[in-house]
Amino acid sequence: MEITIKNENEVMYCQMNGRLDTLASQQAAKDIQPLLDHAEQEIIIDCSGLEYISSSGLRLLLTLRKETARKGGKVIIRNIREEIRQIFLMTGFYNLFEIQ
Amino acid sequence: MESYGLDPHGLALLEAYRALRPCLERLEPAVVSKVRADIADKGLMVTAVDSRIKKESSLAGKLSLKGGKYGEVTDVTDLLGVRVITFYSDDVDKIASMVENLFDIDRENSVDKRKMHELDSFGYNSLHYVCRAPGLVPGADDIRFEVQIRTALQHVWATLYHDTGYKSGIEIPREYLRDMNRLAGMLELVDEQFCRIRTGITDYRRRVETLVADGRLDEVALDGDTYRRYLLLRPFDRLNRRIAALNQAEIQEGPLIQFLPLLRAMGMETLGDLDRMVRERWEDAYQLAVYQLGVTDLDIISSSVALQNLCFAYILRQGGGRAGLRRMFDTLNGPSDSNDILADMICKQAETLKII
Repeated sequence: MEITIKNENEVMYCQMNGRLDTLASQQAAKDIQPLLDHAEQEIIIDCSGLEYISSSGLRLLLTLRKETARKGGKVIIRNIREEIRQIFLMTGFYNLFEIQ
Repeated sequence: MESYGLDPHGLALLEAYRALRPCLERLEPAVVSKVRADIADKGLMVTAVDSRIKKESSLAGKLSLKGGKYGEVTDVTDLLGVRVITFYSDDVDKIASMVENLFDIDRENSVDKRKMHELDSFGYNSLHYVCRAPGLVPGADDIRFEVQIRTALQHVWATLYHDTGYKSGIEIPREYLRDMNRLAGMLELVDEQFCRIRTGITDYRRRVETLVADGRLDEVALDGDTYRRYLLLRPFDRLNRRIAALNQAEIQEGPLIQFLPLLRAMGMETLGDLDRMVRERWEDAYQLAVYQLGVTDLDIISSSVALQNLCFAYILRQGGGRAGLRRMFDTLNGPSDSNDILADMICKQAETLKII
């Protein structure tokens, strides 16, 4: 699992590649710390390289959503693959995020 | 010291004002915080609480016109002025009653222009109390101050009228006086109408509360207020828990208000329609969840799952098909090509489950 983050013009860009499963989520929780630190900004997560997401991965995104809601920011998820889209839909997470 | 061309009596009063000024400066914040605190305690909403200490030049102007009227400077009742601006005209009375309890009112010098208005038909309603606040600030027991209470619209009128430069209705040319009066009348009607709307909404909410509590849902139109009230009954909890039990999943609270435009678009007119959907499409919604989640180990869901699946089932059972689902996603998520993919996905699952 690889997470790349950059801050450009007050927008946090995050690229997720690989499988966000239970094991990877532990490291990912540390990797997304810059996003939590800038949760007052708009956070765009590009999931074009995300192959799988487990419940732990969903919880990670939820943490991000709660932090942005608290600080006035926003999470936008982009370019999700069909399998991930299905997971978002069946868990009701589709209604929690702005998915583009 | 500037004399402003005042006579000896006026100058003596002005000198007394200068000596009194430090006391006024202590009294001003004390009065304002007392008023603000009481407004907050009573849960009232106002647009502003302003205050000012009369400027020396303004007092000098007043003294040069009618200085003989005042024996002492404390006879001038508006050395300190506080203004409370309310949203609604019926809040003027509430604030007035609050002020009566907070301070000693000098009735003789207090003016209710709302009553004067009936007599000379000029000017716009507002309420001026001349007050004292014994014991609030040392040395300020004898100082009278004015508390003016008016609505935001009354304030607009008074401000614009003040801008004309005329101090009273006697001075203003008759043709403009008529226009100002017309405006005053119109704003008074607007104030009244806003009050009526607020009262109407409050009554409506009470009525809805009773109808929902009594289960008379068919009598309650579906709108933002009633939907929120219905959600307080937690109508989707049982289905969410049943779905969550599939994988011993935790349920995360998600927003349900965004479904309201969708429910309206689906033709739901009353809470009764919504409640029937919950009862009649319960099993379909659950079976969809079984199909989707049963083969996964996903142990977290959002509380919107139950309502989302109920909507899928309702649309499909009503014959809405793929296009209906597409419209549903467009309404919930905004138009997007990916909504076609979602609609196809649900259609395939529904075919297998024979919901279509």
